[in-house]
Amino acid sequence: MATVTLNHISKSFGENTVLKDFNETFRDGEFITLLGPSGCGKTTMLRIIAGFEKPTGGELYIDDRLVSGGKTFVPPEKRGIGMVFQSYAVWPHMNVFDNVAYPLTIKKTARTEIQSSVERVLGIVHLSQYAGRFPNQLSGGQQQRVALARALVAAPKLLLLDEPLSNLDAKLRESMRFEIKEIQRELGITVVYVTHDQTEAMAMSDRIFLINRGVVQQCGTPQEIYNSPANQFVADFLGKVDFFKGEARDGQIVFPEMNNQKIPYNGPRTGKVEVAIRPENLFFTENGMLTGTLETQYYLGDVDDCRVRVGDRLVRVIVSGYEFKNLKNGQQISIGIRDFMVFEDNGLLEEMLQIQT
Amino acid sequence: MKSTVTGQKRNMTPALTKAVLVMVVLFGAALVFMGWRGMQEYNSSGFSSEAAYRAIYQLHGDVESAWSMKLEPQTAVLSEQDRALLDQTAYELLTAAWENQKKGSTEKLNAILAEEDAESRRELLHKLLYTTYLVSGPKVSTANKKEITAIPESERDDFRLSLLQAVMDEGAALPTAAEKLAGRLSGQERQAALIQAWFVSNDAADGKTTEQVNTLKKSVRNKETQLEAFRMIAQGEVSWGWQLIVSNSRTAILTGIVIALDALLLTILMMGDRTWIFDFKWILILLIVDFLLLFQLMPLIFMIVKAFFPNSSFSLETFRRLYTYPLNLDALKNTLIAATATMFFGTVLAFPLAWLVGRTNLYGRKFFRGLFVLTYMVPPYVGAMAWLRLLNPNVGTINQWIRMLFGLSNAPGPLNIYSLPGMIWVLTSFYYPYAFITISRAMEKMDPSLEEASRISGASPLKTVFTVTLPMMLPSLISGALLVFVAAASCYGIPSIIGSPGRVHTVTTRIVEYVALGQQGMNDATGMAVFLMSLAVIILFLSDVVLAKRQYITVSGKSVQPAIVDLRRWRVPLTVLVTLFAVIVIVIPFAVILATSFKIDVGKPVFRAENFTLTNWKTVFGRVETLNSFRNSLIFAAVAATIGIVVACTMSYLLQRTQIRGRKIPDFLITLGSGTPSVVIALGLIMTMKGNFGINIYNTAYIMIIAYMIKYMMMGMRTVVSAMSQIHVSLEECSQVSGASWLRTMLRITGPLVFPSIAAGWFLIFIPSFYELSMTTLLYSSTTKTIGFQLYEYWTFTSQPMSCAMAFGILLMVVFLNYVLNRLTRGEFSI
Repeated sequence: MATVTLNHISKSFGENTVLKDFNETFRDGEFITLLGPSGCGKTTMLRIIAGFEKPTGGELYIDDRLVSGGKTFVPPEKRGIGMVFQSYAVWPHMNVFDNVAYPLTIKKTARTEIQSSVERVLGIVHLSQYAGRFPNQLSGGQQQRVALARALVAAPKLLLLDEPLSNLDAKLRESMRFEIKEIQRELGITVVYVTHDQTEAMAMSDRIFLINRGVVQQCGTPQEIYNSPANQFVADFLGKVDFFKGEARDGQIVFPEMNNQKIPYNGPRTGKVEVAIRPENLFFTENGMLTGTLETQYYLGDVDDCRVRVGDRLVRVIVSGYEFKNLKNGQQISIGIRDFMVFEDNGLLEEMLQIQT
Repeated sequence: MKSTVTGQKRNMTPALTKAVLVMVVLFGAALVFMGWRGMQEYNSSGFSSEAAYRAIYQLHGDVESAWSMKLEPQTAVLSEQDRALLDQTAYELLTAAWENQKKGSTEKLNAILAEEDAESRRELLHKLLYTTYLVSGPKVSTANKKEITAIPESERDDFRLSLLQAVMDEGAALPTAAEKLAGRLSGQERQAALIQAWFVSNDAADGKTTEQVNTLKKSVRNKETQLEAFRMIAQGEVSWGWQLIVSNSRTAILTGIVIALDALLLTILMMGDRTWIFDFKWILILLIVDFLLLFQLMPLIFMIVKAFFPNSSFSLETFRRLYTYPLNLDALKNTLIAATATMFFGTVLAFPLAWLVGRTNLYGRKFFRGLFVLTYMVPPYVGAMAWLRLLNPNVGTINQWIRMLFGLSNAPGPLNIYSLPGMIWVLTSFYYPYAFITISRAMEKMDPSLEEASRISGASPLKTVFTVTLPMMLPSLISGALLVFVAAASCYGIPSIIGSPGRVHTVTTRIVEYVALGQQGMNDATGMAVFLMSLAVIILFLSDVVLAKRQYITVSGKSVQPAIVDLRRWRVPLTVLVTLFAVIVIVIPFAVILATSFKIDVGKPVFRAENFTLTNWKTVFGRVETLNSFRNSLIFAAVAATIGIVVACTMSYLLQRTQIRGRKIPDFLITLGSGTPSVVIALGLIMTMKGNFGINIYNTAYIMIIAYMIKYMMMGMRTVVSAMSQIHVSLEECSQVSGASWLRTMLRITGPLVFPSIAAGWFLIFIPSFYELSMTTLLYSSTTKTIGFQLYEYWTFTSQPMSCAMAFGILLMVVFLNYVLNRLTRGEFSI
């Protein structure tokens, strides 16, 4: 229903640059997640779209309407956006009905229409029987739903969600995740969702924008980002990963840190490389590519989280609990590799992985 | 083996503890009984110390030499208690004499008058005479007559009339004898005689008739009779211990009561605790409770009892007088009107200011915030002085400008500060920061996304203010408003400087005037004080209820910088408006104080070379009185702050780190003390601390230090408590687990972490004590004058430019102290 076009948006607070040249388009009906560590600029981006911050440079269009840029600045109340805040921001002096009805009351909508609209959205968020309650009589999850209903009641084209689930407990968070996704699919609205939780991002998004230090590191579907990360940071941020320094030559990568053991490699890179391996892509086998000594293992039920010493390095191997065999610490073991990623060793790994706050 | 021994010991303890408690209660009761018997014995000896002192005074003929001799030979035989009573009586007489002598100096008066034009001369003279009457009672001495002669013949009758009117207003019945006598006199003499007669009858204790007073004088004029009285006391041939109790009977009773009460309180606490194991922390609680019991609760209770039993039998006469005398009724009305209006205007000003400064892109909003908070620490009387200079109907700078601007005649006006609206204006300009600070703090704590949610829902910034911000702020708004109400109703500095000369009486100024009148006045003062206290207690209670009921706790998200509302085209006009407000309320008053301090002629602008002088500064800071008052203020405030902060730290420890039973009792008392209007605290202390209850600290520095502590200790306590609450107990536990002792933990971990708050707490007690006026006015003695009172005296009796020099000096010092506080606590605290 709405597209958001970010045209060279940048934002700095004094000396401190928070967003650098943000240049993207969110398509109609897409579920977009801005993902990144805290302080990466994702919330600032969301607040710029909402109109709570003015970008230092660039233009912002919602549909084809210029809402921010040059001398134009449309204040938040005139952007026709719905937004859910991290702290819910449910007004404690109004009951649920009044909270949800507020956007319509402001628009001076007819009474009967308010009544039916509010009932409809309360139905969507499963709060119909709570209309008369005050926020302090509701649980965190229910307040969350009130905030969502309020954001939806005026049928916005664009819904912004700022870490809406971070104050909920783990179980509730998981169920709300699917509910939000369900509502979005039903109403077909464009959603911009901010979170630092990768699982949330993976589960809900059509596209993820992974941001660090004010710069989009990669954008793509969850699968793209997980399977073909654009750089070490992305690989590290999404999922678990270990980095190994190696040397690529003659269809092989040699790891000096690991007794010069080698793995076959037919990729384009040569010379010094960094190999990123996800522990769940390793497995124990009779004749694998690397051999080492099993040092420790943590049995976690569903998986077995093991550390294998290979040369100077400890290699983390996560095998399914189902495959769990009675392994003994200290025994020689051979590791097979399903998949790995190879990056150029630019010597900046440490710096790249550092999270800016 | 060892464990069984301890186990047995524990089983023994409850019985032993109970026995000890009962014994302590009995000991206290015995002390009370003996003290009571001692008092009977003492009274039956028929000695009246006051009468005796008056006698000594009569013998020596003049008060000052009597005082300087201290009457050592005669009084040496007396007990400490008696001597204190004597000193007090002597002191009262001396003060009266001194005031008269001082103000009676015609030369000084003429010098002052020469500076003024005809209009202001009249006003000044009137003020002089009226204040003379207020301070020393309606005693028109020969010196005062000289002052009256300085008034042109044509106006003299007006003065007499107004003075007599003032006397009559007090509701004193003139003794018929005096009236007859006065009837034979004429004119000026008659006036003086009437007032003199009234004074004498009024001043004599317990409503004795004029005849009795005369007899008393005659009888004690006889030296033999008098010495006989002393001998009677000295020759009591009894045991040493009994003698001690007889001469300190009241102290004995009081000590007994306190000991018994302590033991009872401890019993109650232990009963609740059930283990009957004595905890050392109870001693701390009892010590603080005892202090507050003696110096805070006892005076308050005594005052209430006295109000209902004015002459040892139940009567509502005291309260009837409150509204049957027009002047009193006026004072009540004025107080209520002024406080309500100040509350209204203060809050109406404070909310938009807090919003503009906290939530919009107003230019210089941080600067303005600091500026408005700064007003909070300016002594209110300094502001009153400034506004008096600006809005005096005759010579007020603003009035002169307006007259010049509109070409009005030189008639007084158009604005008159000596009026109820004038007082409300000054009160508002000094108490709106109370509401501003309360609202600003609440606004800072409020989750800004509540407002943002409204904006994104389509509401404009203004609409958001009314639908979200204001309703959310309502509890704080109400509590801020009530705070302003109580502060304005309890204020003495502003009404005394602005109201009194304009005859706009308030409850506080009436209380102080009544106290100056002595015995009869005391009853009225008590009634007024009970009224004021009830008002304050009810309002503070209401405020608590409001806050408790409607305190919205919001889930705080990450600390987002609140969205700043863009004022757009209103940005410049609103900034101009706020600047204008700041200029009017803060800059101009301070500027006028500074300007006046350099003036020779207060009526003329300072910019002319012939009107500019540094003499005022030199004179005022060259005076011994000034330097003494600064020394006194520094010492009293420092002592009050130091003891206060020790109590505050102890309380914080008890409240935050222990679960000890009864820790809330001193907390409650300290809170009550800070909520009690200053004038009421001081009055209570005056009534109970002059030996009549076994403690005599009247006219000493102690009484003032205690008063400051009672009023301001809570500020220190709250600061330290909130700092302690933020240090998680695990930090201390971790230190103890690491092997550090309790003391080491306190010194190495808790101490350094809380230190900024302790320093802040110290200053929060020190600064208001430093410039205190309301309590000081009632409690000072000639040797314990503080800067606040000294300034008030200079302002009323000496010269305005000189006072302004001193006021600005005080202002600079307060700003400097605040700066020190700010640096010491790394910017975390300032008033």
